[in-house]
Amino acid sequence: MTAASDFTSWLDGGRTVSDGPAWLADWRARAAQRARVLGVPGRKDESWRYTSLSALLEQDFRPAAGPALPAASALAPALITGFEPHRLVFVNGDFVAALSTSGALPEGVRLGSLRERLATDPGALEGRLGRVAGAQAPLFSTLNAAGFQDGAALLIDPGVALEQPIELLHLSLGDTGAILAQPRHCIVLGEGARATLIERYLGLDGAGVCTNAVIEVTLGQGAELRHERLQDEGAASFHLSTLHLDQAPGSRYRGVNIGLGARWARTELHCGCAGRGAECDLQGLYLAGDGQLMDYHLDVIHSVPECTSRENFKGILYGRGRAVFDGRVLVARDAQKSDAAMSNRNLMLSEQAEIDTKPQLEILADDVKCSHGTTVGQIEPEMLFYPRARGIAEPLARRMLCLGFAGEIIEALSHEALREQVTEQVGARLEQASG
Amino acid sequence: MLSVKGLRAKVGDEEILKGLDLTVRPGEVHAIMGPNGSGKSTFAHVLSGRDGYEVTDGAASLDGVDLLALSPEERAQQGLFLAFQYPVELPGVNNTYFLKAALNSIRKARGEEELDAVSFLRLIREKLKILHLDDSLLKRAVNVGFSGGEKKRNEIFQMALLEPKLAILDETDSGLDIDALRIVAEGVNALRSPERSVILVTHYQRLLDYIEPDVVHVLYKGRIIRTGGKELALELEERGYGWIIDEEHAA
Repeated sequence: MTAASDFTSWLDGGRTVSDGPAWLADWRARAAQRARVLGVPGRKDESWRYTSLSALLEQDFRPAAGPALPAASALAPALITGFEPHRLVFVNGDFVAALSTSGALPEGVRLGSLRERLATDPGALEGRLGRVAGAQAPLFSTLNAAGFQDGAALLIDPGVALEQPIELLHLSLGDTGAILAQPRHCIVLGEGARATLIERYLGLDGAGVCTNAVIEVTLGQGAELRHERLQDEGAASFHLSTLHLDQAPGSRYRGVNIGLGARWARTELHCGCAGRGAECDLQGLYLAGDGQLMDYHLDVIHSVPECTSRENFKGILYGRGRAVFDGRVLVARDAQKSDAAMSNRNLMLSEQAEIDTKPQLEILADDVKCSHGTTVGQIEPEMLFYPRARGIAEPLARRMLCLGFAGEIIEALSHEALREQVTEQVGARLEQASG
Repeated sequence: MLSVKGLRAKVGDEEILKGLDLTVRPGEVHAIMGPNGSGKSTFAHVLSGRDGYEVTDGAASLDGVDLLALSPEERAQQGLFLAFQYPVELPGVNNTYFLKAALNSIRKARGEEELDAVSFLRLIREKLKILHLDDSLLKRAVNVGFSGGEKKRNEIFQMALLEPKLAILDETDSGLDIDALRIVAEGVNALRSPERSVILVTHYQRLLDYIEPDVVHVLYKGRIIRTGGKELALELEERGYGWIIDEEHAA
């Protein structure tokens, strides 16, 4: 297979949303044009310094000719006992109504397919879709704007609190070739609204799918969102996901990003604290083993005073696993009393594993409280000896310590069933790694 | 029970144990005393299988099983228990989970069935009482945020739970106030039985006021230079180690 020289093939064919209002067509045409102009970022591009796109370019991912129609049984392995959300299911980026169970939603909550919303009620999305990403979005977000097939539209009216979580469950099924899946989600919480949103990305078979997902989140004044993203794609898959977050004054965003699967995964979190007193809490846990790359980019911008942000990412690397953590917090000149703390800690279980970590604070204001810290370490011999002296075999002792290290992030998940599920998945990967 | 013969061990190039002999019979409590740097903790660590020590000569066996050929976990499964001088904090590792994994590893090695959650909790509550420990301890991470006294009590609590044949208490009395010392000693005394032996490694006689030893040894420069009854400890308390060392040099 010859490598492609750029991603323009992603713009051709497929079933992009072509109908709809003029603003939508315009926006998408501009995105396509910009994607062509952007070309392929190279190592000179700061945010791609440690991550090569050549493996992705070697693959010939194309949008699927038509939606996959999996049997209802395809869903079974993806379900978590004890976790019953309002669920929208996407298969290779297409919304599958037959598998979705959005259930009875409270008044003031509109949840459904983005494509459908655009067809029936485009006014609800005008000025919202694409707004947070902006005209200068990075390449893969821009490619998604030009080529997204569908996604979720979640609009919550001011003052409405949604207790039951919403799940956007993405299944990658690669049995029909090298498929490109591009869902785009548009989430808008009105003033004082509250919700919990879970995004899961699962590969249910071994074949390669490339997911390029974008989620735009707008939080109104005092709104609160818990947003948890669990990536467990198949071993041959590529995964790109970009969050664009915009926070009004006093709003709270609590995000947890768990990255376990895919051979090559890049997550970009673009967060803007543009309202006074906004709080943004980003946590992450990633595992990378043989043949895997986990790449995280955080871009947190404090543009007004009195915002708080926390960035706490932990990685466990084993075998020949690789990870990149490129975290940037920018505090603008006027953003006095900003409070930011960034931390990236990595546990290396093998000598062949590799981490490039680069936390950066750019502080232009003078009255702020900002800190960052990075560690790259191994399991302390002392800590390993203690459980062994209690009769616990070395592999289990190691796993126990790794799960202890990961536990801080897993504990941040909102639901016990999710915490158990992730603990089990992390444990299984570590067991595989040591066996 | 425990038989140690001519044990020699090095840390780096320095020989710390220089031909140590010790026999502990079932049910006996032995105290190993000695000045700083005599090799007391090294002996405890070498028996438990900690890395960083090289055994160059001699033998150590527990009920006929060659300890030196086993990994630390296998030694624990054979019934050896080391109460740490400095118990290690394991951030994020839940205490209940840890204890259950330890107990079931040992039970499995003995050919016993693993305990289910209910019987395990019942057992654990019973053992907590012996050490006057609160069951909130079970929800916490292993040793994390524990006070010095809690850490030492937690060691003896683990010993109560794991029911070893031979327990080695490495300076368990260090850093304890008198109340904590009493609780720890009561815990150890409650666990004394004709089948279980204990080695108390200690610098001071104080602990022996609460746990009465059958035999007292003085370790000096990597060898046991004097063995006696509990009155030897009292004599050491009164006269220090100097006189024994002088006699040793004279001999």
